[in-house]
Amino acid sequence: MNNNRVISFSDIDADWKLALDADNVFWGVVPKKVDGAFMMPDDLITLYQKEREHLDKELHDFRFNAELNCIYIDPTDKCNANCPYCYIPSRIRKKGTQMTGQELDAVLTKIAAHFKTSSKKPVIVFHAAEPLLVKGILFNAIDRFHKELLFGIQTNALLLEKEDVEFMKKRRMGVGISLDAPEADINNISRATTRGNGNFEKAVQAIDWFDGYEGLNVISTVTKFNVHRLSDHVRFLHKKKVPCVLLNPVRVTRIPALKLKPDQKVFAENLMDAVDTAMDLSIKSGRQIVVGNFSNVILAIISPSARRMMCDISPCGGGRTFLTITAGGEMVPCGEFIGSKEFSGGNIFDTTISKAMNSKPFKEIRSRTVEKIEECNTCDFRHICGSPCPAEMYARGNMYKKAEFCDFYKEIIRHAFKLIAEDKVKYLLRKDSLAYMQYEYQYK
Amino acid sequence: MTKKIKSENKKTRHSKKPSAVSYHLKCAKTANGLTHFVMYGDVPKKKMPL
Repeated sequence: MNNNRVISFSDIDADWKLALDADNVFWGVVPKKVDGAFMMPDDLITLYQKEREHLDKELHDFRFNAELNCIYIDPTDKCNANCPYCYIPSRIRKKGTQMTGQELDAVLTKIAAHFKTSSKKPVIVFHAAEPLLVKGILFNAIDRFHKELLFGIQTNALLLEKEDVEFMKKRRMGVGISLDAPEADINNISRATTRGNGNFEKAVQAIDWFDGYEGLNVISTVTKFNVHRLSDHVRFLHKKKVPCVLLNPVRVTRIPALKLKPDQKVFAENLMDAVDTAMDLSIKSGRQIVVGNFSNVILAIISPSARRMMCDISPCGGGRTFLTITAGGEMVPCGEFIGSKEFSGGNIFDTTISKAMNSKPFKEIRSRTVEKIEECNTCDFRHICGSPCPAEMYARGNMYKKAEFCDFYKEIIRHAFKLIAEDKVKYLLRKDSLAYMQYEYQYK
Repeated sequence: MTKKIKSENKKTRHSKKPSAVSYHLKCAKTANGLTHFVMYGDVPKKKMPL
């Protein structure tokens, strides 16, 4: 721990100044006077001195001692979509390895055994390529293991049927539907199918079938095509009773995706508009929609260890709090590494999850911290954004480079502090979530 | 706990601009797993942060 460190001051906007210890995310926002001057209250400094050690420990534990709690399973490499930004190389998607029912059963048995002594059930997420291509074996497996494991699925909905929705609701699954825009012509550019059209019609039908189900999320990948449509997307999804949307930056792990990258300033402006739209709609209608990736930034500030998405933390959750098992059984720190054989921690059919977690490639990902990244190591927001993503930067030639969307993160983090100062947090997290949280301290 | 937070929010709303805002919350009941990309695992039984 660096005992000589100091609180840094920076501008949030014309009204607010931010005081922040970047090493443990102690923060205070202080109003500015008309001339821009501000007064740091003495008792805020006293509060900082009192809480510093405890915040250091909390953040350190969360970064380095959190346990594995989520496993992504790609039960098939095949896909009926052809999204231009997909992080799975097309040679893998075309080769079409897929698990048999027996193999999936063996994988889940091994996972259940690994977590047998854990106090919490792990979450199993069926993920890319398109898991519903093997929905028969998935649903059988879920029926067999639902008492020991929690399940989620990420799907383009092309093969989803109404009875599948009923099954997922009955089993209380977390469901992510991929939809990038509120109209077919824009959505279908990026959510293209192998037949040349897109998933818009099927995804919207699926959202209607879920009818406000609390486990539903819509996952949108933001590119230069849809970046101007984010607020309208939120309006559209709110009408459809979707409780949570993620407006994630496109990962440029593969070169074709790089051409789709939105301008960071434009993305930040549109994301902030979308957050404001979501707040307005939630307040006026009484039915909430949250922008999940922005909510995660809010949590990273007000309750860092309660944050939910493990991309925006350093080290990231890959090979630490989650891992991915490919259709062939390879264990990789994250699905983003699926195209890089050198990151396999071993095959689940030949080795154990514990051995994979202790493998060299997994340790390598866990050792990628913001302290080792130039510019991040002096950035005030390094423990709020976490400088994602190692796979993306590895593919670009150097894992120890700052985040591809660095400027975007800086903008939205400043906006998050502004909304916190304006007491808007209750509109930005899921309804009632504050009831599950306790103040450890509050400046008065 | 909910009552406490509500009353504090109300107080903030009706008072003048504070001299500073600073607080830290701890998640009293965490969901079953911190997850990646999406909040899978939040569905069961009770609502969770986010």
